[in-house]
Amino acid sequence: MSSEFITLFMFGTMMVLLFTGQRVFGVIGFVGSAAALWLWGQGSFEMPFNASFQVLNWYPLITVPFFVFMGYMLSESGVASGLYRMFHVWFGSVRGGLALGTIGLMVLIAALNGLSVAGMAIGATIALPQLLRHGYDKVMVTGVIQAGSSLGILIPPSVVLVLYAMIARQPVLDLWLAGIGPGLLMALVFAIYIYVRCLLQPEVGPALPEEERAQITSAEKFRLLREGLLPLAIFVVMMGLFMTGITSLVESSAVGALLATLAAWWAGNLNRQVLEDCTRNTLTISCMFLWIILAALCFSSVYDGLGAVKAVKTLLIDTWHFEPWTILILMLLSFLVMGAFLDDTAMLVIVAPLYIPLVISLGFNPIWFGILYTITCQIAYITPPFGYNLFLMRAMAPPEITLMDIYRSIIPFFALMVLSLILIMIFPQIALWLPELYKAGR
Amino acid sequence: MPKALVAFVRIVDRFNYRVGRFAMYLFYVMAAILLASTASRVFFGVPINWALEMSQFILSAYYLLGGAYAFQLDQHVRMDLFYNRLDARRRAITDAFTILFVIFFLVVLLAGGISSTKYAIQYKQVNYSAWSPVLWPIKSVMTFGVFLMLLQCISALIKDVAIWRGRPIQ
Repeated sequence: MSSEFITLFMFGTMMVLLFTGQRVFGVIGFVGSAAALWLWGQGSFEMPFNASFQVLNWYPLITVPFFVFMGYMLSESGVASGLYRMFHVWFGSVRGGLALGTIGLMVLIAALNGLSVAGMAIGATIALPQLLRHGYDKVMVTGVIQAGSSLGILIPPSVVLVLYAMIARQPVLDLWLAGIGPGLLMALVFAIYIYVRCLLQPEVGPALPEEERAQITSAEKFRLLREGLLPLAIFVVMMGLFMTGITSLVESSAVGALLATLAAWWAGNLNRQVLEDCTRNTLTISCMFLWIILAALCFSSVYDGLGAVKAVKTLLIDTWHFEPWTILILMLLSFLVMGAFLDDTAMLVIVAPLYIPLVISLGFNPIWFGILYTITCQIAYITPPFGYNLFLMRAMAPPEITLMDIYRSIIPFFALMVLSLILIMIFPQIALWLPELYKAGR
Repeated sequence: MPKALVAFVRIVDRFNYRVGRFAMYLFYVMAAILLASTASRVFFGVPINWALEMSQFILSAYYLLGGAYAFQLDQHVRMDLFYNRLDARRRAITDAFTILFVIFFLVVLLAGGISSTKYAIQYKQVNYSAWSPVLWPIKSVMTFGVFLMLLQCISALIKDVAIWRGRPIQ
């Protein structure tokens, strides 16, 4: 049996089993371990456990619980609601201003946590009720929050980029720096869309009413601005320590979690309940994440053993004679299709070892490819049927938002994200100038 | 359901809850070690060479021991496009079959863990590093975590069969 066939068979079985709704880690782990036993017999029964040792040796994964904790600390302790209030008073008078402010909020939150869960939690529980109360169009704002919170995996600190860096053997810092430009570009693209749409259809995003605006004093405005600087300071201190090499990546993540806790304490909101919720949510999210990585490593080591990397390369370059750009676009398309059905962490661990060597041998920049990958993940986060932000939205959204609203809400943002992706493909400098600037400065 | 199975479910759920709550606080142990070693190096110029490795070990214990508790809270993500449209009983029936795949995976994982731990004990295997700690303690903890996850899956299977038969366990 050829290795292409086995690889296809494994992917096929995995997809079918995923549709039954069984837990993702279990399905992937089953296909991986069953394939190993079937191909290599009893001698390979230690292989799945060895994957758990690979997780242990990938020490940058230690950052996962810390960056998750940071995000929860800020959302549970009320620091995030202060931030929301800041954007509310500063942007409220513009048409669509609250939605624009929400994008700003999401960028800041993204800079303070490693995944998109905290952004979703803050968006759905703090921003969404306010937006609805002020008469914003529910379909538009649902999309704003889902798309905005997906920036969490592109703007540093990003756990997805840490994972990519490990697989691609590239410096984490380069990837993080490369994520900033595209992250801000996407935020800008979203903001332009909201602004233009509210200009054309004022009813979807009304400005704050006169009497509510009159209640906001400029003293309060500046007090809120000062409060808003605190989370920004956390980000600057953490990144600063890391970029100057004073602390390592893992140490910086622990420092970030400590600073977030101190900020919550400073705001007077650190109590037993907050600590309990943060600690428990950190455990469950980290467990979900790491069990999936464990299972996915077990899966990918099977076709690693089969030499599928070489087979795919031969097939694409020597047999089908594809141009490098065609291959790149095909890869991204496959990410989009797979990402709609598969968890993005699993997808990264499963597919990246196959694609990254190919990308490098075609002469593309692996850092830039990492950013393209992350944006396709963001798109996958919001596209049905399998999207984290879709799940979370469904779980957290107020009852007046139906499933249909959620699905409809993502259409314009899907298009905007694809547009950003294409822009970054054509102009790699959007991603690469910051890491290059940093390198030149050292 | 037979009394013995109900008792099994109760004991496993309670035990895994306790272990999970314990694992939950390992987060702070990990934070303390990393922050202390950072402070020691940055402020006093004394690096602690075992801090990173110890954190790696604790992270492994953290997610493997906490896995079953996360399972109880239903936090392991699913592709729920069709699953969500089923009623509670149909979900239980589907799960009762598909959980067997997960159990298969965990059994293989457990067998590998036991054999790897045995090897580590027999040959006094150490990690290749400056600190070079013996590996059997962490391997035992990891294998134990896998074992607990396996018990949790069997408990879930019993609960699903009970729902299937129309007599859920409380």
